[in-house]
Amino acid sequence: MIFLVRWVRGRRRRAAGIAGSPNDHELDAQFESTFAEEPTGGLVHRLRSSDVALVAEREIRERLRGRAFRVVTLLLLVVVAGATVIPAITKSTSTAEHVGVVAASKSEIVLVRSVGRAVGARVAVTRFSSPAAAERALRDGTIDLALVGESEILLDSPLSSTDTSARAELARTLSQVVGQERAYASAGLTPAQIAAVSSPRLVPLRSLQPAKPSSPGRSTALIGIILVFVMLTQYNTWTLIGVMEEKSSRVVEVLLAAIRPLQLLAGKVLGIGAVVLAQAGLVVAVALLLGAAVGSDLLTGAAPLVVVTSLLWLVLGYSFFCWVYAAAGSMAERQDQVQTLALPLGLPLIIGYILALTTLSSGSAPIWFQVLGYLPPTAPFAMPALVGLGAVSWWQVVISCIVTVTATVGVARLAAVVYRRAVLRTGRRVGLRELLNQPG
Amino acid sequence: MGEALELDGLTRRFGSITALDGLSFSAPRGQVVGFLGPNGAGKTTTMRAVFGLTDLDAGSVRWSGKAVGASERRRFGYMPEERGLYPAMLLGEQLRYLARLHGLSPRAASRSVAHWLERFELADRFDSRVDALSHGNQQRAQLAAALVHNPELLVLDEPLAGLDPAGIEAIGAVLLEQAHAGACVLFSSHQLDLVEDLCETVVIIDHGRLVAEGTVEGLATGGARRLVVRVEGDRTGNWTARLVGVQVSEVDRGAVRLVLEPGTDSDVVLRAALAAGKVTEFSLERRRLSEVFREAVG
Repeated sequence: MIFLVRWVRGRRRRAAGIAGSPNDHELDAQFESTFAEEPTGGLVHRLRSSDVALVAEREIRERLRGRAFRVVTLLLLVVVAGATVIPAITKSTSTAEHVGVVAASKSEIVLVRSVGRAVGARVAVTRFSSPAAAERALRDGTIDLALVGESEILLDSPLSSTDTSARAELARTLSQVVGQERAYASAGLTPAQIAAVSSPRLVPLRSLQPAKPSSPGRSTALIGIILVFVMLTQYNTWTLIGVMEEKSSRVVEVLLAAIRPLQLLAGKVLGIGAVVLAQAGLVVAVALLLGAAVGSDLLTGAAPLVVVTSLLWLVLGYSFFCWVYAAAGSMAERQDQVQTLALPLGLPLIIGYILALTTLSSGSAPIWFQVLGYLPPTAPFAMPALVGLGAVSWWQVVISCIVTVTATVGVARLAAVVYRRAVLRTGRRVGLRELLNQPG
Repeated sequence: MGEALELDGLTRRFGSITALDGLSFSAPRGQVVGFLGPNGAGKTTTMRAVFGLTDLDAGSVRWSGKAVGASERRRFGYMPEERGLYPAMLLGEQLRYLARLHGLSPRAASRSVAHWLERFELADRFDSRVDALSHGNQQRAQLAAALVHNPELLVLDEPLAGLDPAGIEAIGAVLLEQAHAGACVLFSSHQLDLVEDLCETVVIIDHGRLVAEGTVEGLATGGARRLVVRVEGDRTGNWTARLVGVQVSEVDRGAVRLVLEPGTDSDVVLRAALAAGKVTEFSLERRRLSEVFREAVG
């Protein structure tokens, strides 16, 4: 963000300078005096540490300006907004069950509501004066079922034995409970006795297996993994092509005449990384704001944890892969060479992505998939899936983070060596083995 | 002014090929130095070595007596042979970026960019993408990129290639101006007539070794004396046949070019010419730089 501010300021200053440019003589005088003010040796020393920031700043400015960035950001926002809002809207319309009651007492209305709560359905009760009026309402579809006194429950269409919808559950339970009430009354029990037998203390249920995660966690993990994949693919390609273009346009020679290869590489990786974070932050912020506005499940249960995990692994995944792609880019000089490199490099991402999606939809994580959660190339997809499935504890996440960070340090060092040796070599493509065996 | 840039015993091998073979020479401040050699002589490798863009097997590069490191290189300007700017980046921003990388403050960088764009008549192209500029303007932009931080040493690989006469004149004027302001300017070119006009000093290399070095004046007048003689009615130069200590280097439409061996008196030649007919031209000739070059690189 600091970079963005500096960029905007720089543009304003420049625009002002050009609009009211002084005459040549003044310009030369200012120019000379500016140089005189700044003894080069001291200045060079002071600015050396900011070279990486300068490179990163250029990267950010150029990326934000590009049409590809805007299109992808807009698409991500549309997808995430859709995924947040649509389930919330469909959920709120489907859960309200409209129940008609005919000649009902107040206690029966209370009963209908409590049965509704018991089966997890929101219930709206409408009174009707006659069974015929209730039947009309059923046929119109304004109510889902009708309770006629204590004698029968009316439905528009018969229930199948496999129907587990809220309407079916409500109708079955209501039929049972009203029947019991009638039985208790005909047995001559007093209202107090009826109350005592109809609300027994339930025996607790204990499961040997841990509880299945809530579905909000899984669906959030699904969206998270898709976003991590789209963003990693996009930014890795930027890094790959960006480095290749610097090499093929020979601008790298001009740059490396002034700064060290590692500074150029680090600036590029950090600059694109800042864009990754800004874009991901924007997408998550929009998702959370929309989620809060429409009452989405995104903010409930395991979902917030999955959001944090996905973000974390987007950053870790980028940190790991960016070095690999930068080193690969430094070995290529043409578009076709980049394409032959992109496929083998992209394979771990694609494999991790597909396995994470299939595991997530199966609902349980086998051991082999848990192992993928600790391997740096596949962890960015496997870990959010495992967290979404509730299959890992916090300490397992921490261990996986440590493994990825350690591997990233190793990969970065190797990539820096390859980059330094390859980026100035032109003419023919250099092999990795040749570069690594080269002395110096 | 003392020597500023000193190259000492530069050696660089690429597999079985020796690109630089113990190359040593120096270039002073305040002069435009022509750096000549046939293709493959090692000019580009030498220039890259100044900027640490190629590893050296042996030898060292010094600036003002000090080994060249990162902080010295920031005060150098480089224009590589194959050029090198971001094609899609806006010209003004790109120059500003390069100025900042060479250590200028944001203010100084903006002023310098405005100055050089004005100087190369590119002020209205500040917001143009580099790949939208014409070839000549790209060349000017590339030179502006090398100059934008007011370097003490300018190293330019073929800066005049592909330019029209107006472009050559404009860039040549800038190079002279920089040298007069105290910079050391080293540039390579195959256009020897231009080098002769622009440079006070030239360095000629071949097969990675120094083969000639000196002022243009010294190289042109040095070596064997040369005469151009024209005898009326003579097209063949047969009158030279009996001369001793004289070699005919060329007979061109009646103008006979002769190279005098040491100790040979030019009067002998004059007498032989007068004996052959009316002498219409008799002059001592300076060597063209192209001849110096041809002799030096064999």
